[in-house]
Amino acid sequence: MLQHGPLLERLLAGDFICKITEEDAYRHLSLEQTQQDINHYLRPLNRRLVSNDDHSVYFLGYHELNKDAREQLSSQFALTVQSLLPLLEWLQLVQETMGRDSALTAGDTIKLQEFVLRTEDNQSLRQRLSQLASDRFFNSQSEQLDSQVKQIFRRLKEHGYLLQPHAERQYYIVTGKIDYLIDVIRFIRDEEHLPVDDTPTQEALL
Amino acid sequence: MAPLDTATASNLFTIGAERLALLGKHHKQLMQGYLDGFIDESAFSEGALKKLIAARILWRPDEQQPLALRPLVSELIASMVADENRRQINADVAEKLEQIRNRVQAYRDAQYKGDYSVAELQLQRLTEHVHDLSGQFEEAIDSLWHRLNSDFGFVSSLDDKIRENERAQKQLRRLLDGLDLLDFTELIELSEGNNHLRKLLVSQLQSQLSSHHSSLLEVQKRLVELLAKFRQQQSRSLLIANMAAFLRQHPKYQPADYPNRSEVPELFNQSAAIKPHAAIALDKASERQVLAELVRSLPRPAAVTLLDTQSANFSALLQDEEIAARQQALKTDVENFYLRVIDQGGKLSALSYLEQQALEWDSEIWLYQIIAEYQALPVDEKQMFAILREEAPASDFNSLLLIRDISIGLQAA
Repeated sequence: MLQHGPLLERLLAGDFICKITEEDAYRHLSLEQTQQDINHYLRPLNRRLVSNDDHSVYFLGYHELNKDAREQLSSQFALTVQSLLPLLEWLQLVQETMGRDSALTAGDTIKLQEFVLRTEDNQSLRQRLSQLASDRFFNSQSEQLDSQVKQIFRRLKEHGYLLQPHAERQYYIVTGKIDYLIDVIRFIRDEEHLPVDDTPTQEALL
Repeated sequence: MAPLDTATASNLFTIGAERLALLGKHHKQLMQGYLDGFIDESAFSEGALKKLIAARILWRPDEQQPLALRPLVSELIASMVADENRRQINADVAEKLEQIRNRVQAYRDAQYKGDYSVAELQLQRLTEHVHDLSGQFEEAIDSLWHRLNSDFGFVSSLDDKIRENERAQKQLRRLLDGLDLLDFTELIELSEGNNHLRKLLVSQLQSQLSSHHSSLLEVQKRLVELLAKFRQQQSRSLLIANMAAFLRQHPKYQPADYPNRSEVPELFNQSAAIKPHAAIALDKASERQVLAELVRSLPRPAAVTLLDTQSANFSALLQDEEIAARQQALKTDVENFYLRVIDQGGKLSALSYLEQQALEWDSEIWLYQIIAEYQALPVDEKQMFAILREEAPASDFNSLLLIRDISIGLQAA
């Protein structure tokens, strides 16, 4: 277990581990033996390893769902639901601002300065960004574009959606937690039979 | 070389060289024509246009249409600059095979007749055809890899990329079908009893084509993977856009209470964070040395020299009448300040009052006097006033709080 010390610490702290955040640790976690070892170790703490559908991210969940655990899950879930729209709007905004033809995926890089530059001259993007920044999830009080963007990126980093490889350099890498977000949305959509389509129309296919 | 007709050959050479030179002579205008899709006739002289048309470089597809590059010339340029938008892939193998068969026959006939110079020429043509066939696959594979490696970057939208990928897969299937047409038993039969032919048709061609075959399969695998990735991206973008639209339309939307279901979905089983803490333990004597070193190596905060802040001095109190008078004046001003607070009812900053009234007291003395006056009030009167200190630490390393200003307000009774 000694070798997994730092990894366990990160997992216990509530981090999501993916190929982007911790390549080595992620590779270890993909081994069944390591999973068993870790689950065995975590048993007294009432924790176990959980991953999303395609095993691209690992995080910790409760082993046994007692009352305390359910309470925690409920409040966590409320936070997740609250954060859905701001996160989705951010994804859309980045896609449009950067002129990308597809949504962000794990491993994509965003340069903060480029994002600011592209937003600066476009009144409608600017307005949308400003509105997004003042959302409860990002909670920026500033009127300045630069600090609004910084606040948004800081919050996304705190929540594990972005990784900043160098503290003093303003570029960010999208982590595998974005896959988790998409899985959550897909799950809710399927479970609640929401009229939210993700297959291109026949026309587009032809 | 001893060709059939030396005159024809030298004639061919002259015409060919002349026409190739035409391409070079008008290279800029022709390249512009390639990009625009038509030729700007005003850029050429009458004579030059005629020559270019005669050389089958330009043509007029239709009476109404402007002049354009002949398709073969466009193709040549597309292949030279690897322009994947226009590059053509020629998957026609049957025709090449037919030519190879005919050449082999002609070569054998010439040999049979003992006409060695003709046989030599036929063998050379045959070699060209074999190289053409192999080159055709090489060109196609190069183009496919080029498109793959650039992620189909030559088209901008994801829909276009998906269409381009599908087109590439169709080309690839045609190429593989073409390879299937090559029957090596037939080629072995064709080359029977002739070393030159066997080397050319069997050992050389076979090894080239089998390497092309494996390249094509690799490309096919990658194309399928890439298409799956494109489709995934497409569905992800749609999911994001549509879900965001849905949530915007239904701001009060609340999904079911998954955490309290008997079976909590894995995705929502996210436990609370545990942060392990540790402290220095002194129970192991052997570690004391290490701990002592750790303590010694703790960075010491650099001694901070406090800026020489001006401070009031009350040590020499009321030594003569002049000072007593000033002290009295200060007291009166402070009393007036308190009266103003009572009149105004709201909160009043001591320093802004000082400035507003243009009083000449030193700001620090002023603040001291206000505090002193406040402290001197009887308890019940003290309760009437709320005193608010605006403070800031002396420096980053010194948490001593310095008072910057004081506001006095009336306490709601």
